[in-house]
Amino acid sequence: MISTEALTKYIQQCMPDASVSVTDRTGTMDHFSVRVVSDAFQGKSLLDRHRLVYEALAEPMKDGRIHALEIKAETKTTT
Amino acid sequence: MADPIQEEIEQELKKHKILIYGKGTKSAPQCGFTMETMQFFDRYGYPYELVNVLQNPAKRDALTKMTNWPTLPKVFIDGKFYGDTDILDPMEKNGEIEPLLKDAFKKE
Repeated sequence: MISTEALTKYIQQCMPDASVSVTDRTGTMDHFSVRVVSDAFQGKSLLDRHRLVYEALAEPMKDGRIHALEIKAETKTTT
Repeated sequence: MADPIQEEIEQELKKHKILIYGKGTKSAPQCGFTMETMQFFDRYGYPYELVNVLQNPAKRDALTKMTNWPTLPKVFIDGKFYGDTDILDPMEKNGEIEPLLKDAFKKE
C-alpha cells in the first residue's frame, strides 16, 4: 500500500518535470494505473519509457507497496 | 558456460512464435495482466504459449535481467521482447500488431 502522493514523489524524483496522474484500480492502494507525462520520454521507445517509470518506482515495487502497475508514458508534445 | 536456465529460455523462444511468460496456466491464469495478455492474442487467432514462471524464481530473475523489465507477464514475438499489453495496446492502435504476427508466422 502506498499513497498517491508518495508514488508521485518517487516518479518526480527521477523526472522532475513529470505530471503524474494515479488511479487506484482496486480500491486497495496497491494496484495502480499511472499516466506520466514528461519530456524525459522524448525520443525514447515505448519499452524504454516504461523502463524509466519502473526504475523510478523500483523501491516500492520491490518491497511490495505496489503490487501491480499499468503505465501510460507520454511526452507533452505527443497527441 | 551454458547456463541451463538461459538455454531453456532460448529453446522456448525458438519454439514459440508468441511466447508469454506469466503467472498461472492457460486454463487457470493467476494474474489479471496475464489473462489480459491472453485475451489480446485470442483476438488474432495465432497460437501462443504461456509459460508459468510463478513457481520458478530463478527463471523469473533470469528473464528480468535479460529484458531489463521487472514485471510479469513478459511477451516475446518471434524471439523479440515486447513488454506487456501496455506496449502492445498502443502498437495495436497503430496497426503494427497484425503485420508483425503475419510476418512472424510466415517464416518457418
